Amino acid sequence: MGGTDAKDILGLPKTPLSLTQEKKSRPQKESHRKPDGISREVYALTGGVAPLMPSIDVTHLKRPPPHDEKVAWQWLPVKSSARKDDLQLYHWVRVVNDVPPTGDYSFAKYNKSVDVLKYTDDEYENHLTDPVWTKEETDQLFELCERFDLRFTVIADRFPLSRTVEELKDRYYSVTRALLRARAQSPAELANHPLIKEPYDMTRDRERKRALSMVLSQSRHQEKKDAEILAEAKRITEMRLAARNSILIILSIKRLVFLDVQRAAEPDVPANENIGSVSPSSNSQLPATAVAPSTLTMADYASTLASLRMLHVYLRTYGLEQMVQAASSAVGLRTIKRVEQTLQDLGVNLKPKVPTKTVCDEHLELRKEILTLLNLQKQLQYKESEGSSHREGTYAAMPDTPKDRVFASEPFSFGAERPIKKEPKRKGPGRRSDTPSPAHKRPRKLKASDL
Amino acid sequence: MYGGDEVSAIVVDLGSHTCKAGYAGEDAPKAVFPSVVGAVDGSEAMDVDADSAKNNSNSEDSKTNESDKEKGKRKLYVGSQALNYRRDHMEILSPIKDGIVSDWDLVDNIWEHAFRGCLMIDPKEHPMLLAEPPLNTQQQREKAAELMFEKYKVPALFMAKNPVLTSFATGRATSLVVDCGGGSTTISPVHEGYVLQKAVVSAPIGGEFLTDCLLKSLESKGIKIRPRYSFKRKEVRPGEFQVEDVGVPDTTESYKLFCQRMIVGDIKDSICRVPDTPYDDKSYANIPTTSYELPDGQTLEIGADRFKIPDVMFNPSIVQTIPGMEKYGDMIPTVRGLPHMVMESINKCDVDIRRELYSSILLAGGTSSMQQLKERLEKDLIEESPHSARVKVLASGNTTERRFSVWIGGSILASLGSFQQMWFSKSEYEEHGASYIQRKCP
Repeated sequence: MGGTDAKDILGLPKTPLSLTQEKKSRPQKESHRKPDGISREVYALTGGVAPLMPSIDVTHLKRPPPHDEKVAWQWLPVKSSARKDDLQLYHWVRVVNDVPPTGDYSFAKYNKSVDVLKYTDDEYENHLTDPVWTKEETDQLFELCERFDLRFTVIADRFPLSRTVEELKDRYYSVTRALLRARAQSPAELANHPLIKEPYDMTRDRERKRALSMVLSQSRHQEKKDAEILAEAKRITEMRLAARNSILIILSIKRLVFLDVQRAAEPDVPANENIGSVSPSSNSQLPATAVAPSTLTMADYASTLASLRMLHVYLRTYGLEQMVQAASSAVGLRTIKRVEQTLQDLGVNLKPKVPTKTVCDEHLELRKEILTLLNLQKQLQYKESEGSSHREGTYAAMPDTPKDRVFASEPFSFGAERPIKKEPKRKGPGRRSDTPSPAHKRPRKLKASDL
Repeated sequence: MYGGDEVSAIVVDLGSHTCKAGYAGEDAPKAVFPSVVGAVDGSEAMDVDADSAKNNSNSEDSKTNESDKEKGKRKLYVGSQALNYRRDHMEILSPIKDGIVSDWDLVDNIWEHAFRGCLMIDPKEHPMLLAEPPLNTQQQREKAAELMFEKYKVPALFMAKNPVLTSFATGRATSLVVDCGGGSTTISPVHEGYVLQKAVVSAPIGGEFLTDCLLKSLESKGIKIRPRYSFKRKEVRPGEFQVEDVGVPDTTESYKLFCQRMIVGDIKDSICRVPDTPYDDKSYANIPTTSYELPDGQTLEIGADRFKIPDVMFNPSIVQTIPGMEKYGDMIPTVRGLPHMVMESINKCDVDIRRELYSSILLAGGTSSMQQLKERLEKDLIEESPHSARVKVLASGNTTERRFSVWIGGSILASLGSFQQMWFSKSEYEEHGASYIQRKCP
């Protein structure tokens, strides 16, 4: 190759993609099927691969004119069916063998017009009179409709009297409808005509245009102001909503308190009368404790519901897990294990085998009730130990305190307000335990048989 | 297959500043010359001696592009070459006043010059496409048709409105055309190929008005613009020239003004820029000046005027601050700036098409190639227009295309195959009369 020789002479490095390589690759492409009729280079432009769907017939691309034909271009007059007069314009025509092409002017087929009905005077008298429109106006309207192919914007512009586009449309459509009805032999054939099926409603059109003009007439400045005002309003409504929600929560808490008092009152009654002195206080505590988990569970429940709703589609078992997690998020791991133990003891599967809606709901309810049960059991035990320690004396109860602390810590893990409230009832110093002691790793398993 | 089919039509666009003529199907008009006519009143020419008469005859032979026509005792000279030659007592007359034709004789001459002088065709063989202003009256159209058919015997005629042609030149059937021409600025909405006449807004502020403003402003600063014919440069020393005034007492005022306008128009084209914000004297007081050399060697330093003059289009009340233009002061309160006129025009249209008009605003005309005009207009419109409408101002990048967009649209239209059925032919004219043109050419 001359190119590489020149480069050698000049001492230039050979480029990696040299022409020689391209030339080598091209014969390879040639080994692919190259269709006849187009040159090699042109084919290579397409990438050398035949298109999946042949867009043009390849044989048309290069077809040498048949030698028996003689093609000339002549300046001949135009014959067009679109013109009704005898205007003779000339244009270049491809003439083959001295025979000019026959047939109509190729652009005459684009001469399309809209079918506008014409009425006679009698028809006008019988069907089409209107209080607002005179015959001359209607005539003018129809003439303009024909000239401008039903472009109502332009017709409204050229109409000598000032009428709105909707009025013109209304008049035209109602006249045409009346004419169709009058001329039709039977009403059945009209039923499918678009004018009869969907009649033009002027008032609706007017309303629509008014709304559109309102949208389009505001300047950007005004729109900015409007947007600011809307943002303000949104903020205010959100604040109000939040306030209302908190009020609702408080109200529902109060309702739950009432319910829980009833529930909590039952196990307390068979308890020791010794605790009676502390029972009123504990009663007040219990609801608080009972409320605390339930508020939290309620809050968690609500939040889980919200997060599940975000997913839109989820498996029921997945949903159930989330709910369970929410319900037990406020309690410690030990309690969760205890709940599961209880379930197993009761003969209930940890995960329901057939997770229908009712089954899942019931399962969740069961778990919640077990939680409440355990909670109450702990509180009861705590009270009992307190009562007993109170009886036996503070110092004797001291060695018990670590154990008590274990039990006491459990309820404390989810009722933060309780230790604080318990403070004034404490008999001796050092009884404060508001954090679970880390030293105790083996909690005493609470069995149902304990109670 | 594209839709073209040549019938060798001729497209003629007679604007208020320049006349453009050429073959349909081409990119640009072949004949472009100022649309004013120099008229030498015959009686005065007779008083002048034989030398000047001889001069005239010599110049006629040597300059083949001239054409003069004896009409009574008046000699008319058309074409840029003829006009650039100074003649005694030659008055410059414009056939177009306020956008409509006032003197058909002059128009006749101009057309004659275009056909036989520049294009060298016989009008009998070619269908003619004329461009007309959007607010043309029925009477004007009939007169034009009559002149064409009777005098030039064209086989077919069509009269199309300028905004429609501009719209077709960009390939759109619906748009809002802002035509900043020489004599006036016209804003017209085009919907599906038809001009909405009730929504056309026009203002008399055009390129020539701006040129006059600049001229007066320069004169008030004491700068004397010498027309080219009035001085001679003599080489005193190599490279250095001295200017000598040539006494030409018989030159008319209008010719002097014409020549001055040519020079100042060139200054305006090369130097003026539209400011990005509305003009006020204080902020532009210390702007650096640009220099421009006049034909007689003077160098001008133009500073604030560079921005002040184009801002007249956006804020016409500035005109009152230019000394010498007070006679326009009473007209000014009725004229509003360009963005306001655009909004006015759009708001006069039917609500349904407004959005489409906002998103296709076309700029056309010689004055529209002023620098930064498109950006400033777009910015002002976006501020004023509603948020839901997307504002888009389109202008061809090529200044030739902007200047000749009407002609180019005519060239496209006349060479379409499907247009051939729309010509107003001679036989139709003979059968129905000139008023039929109203029906044929909507």
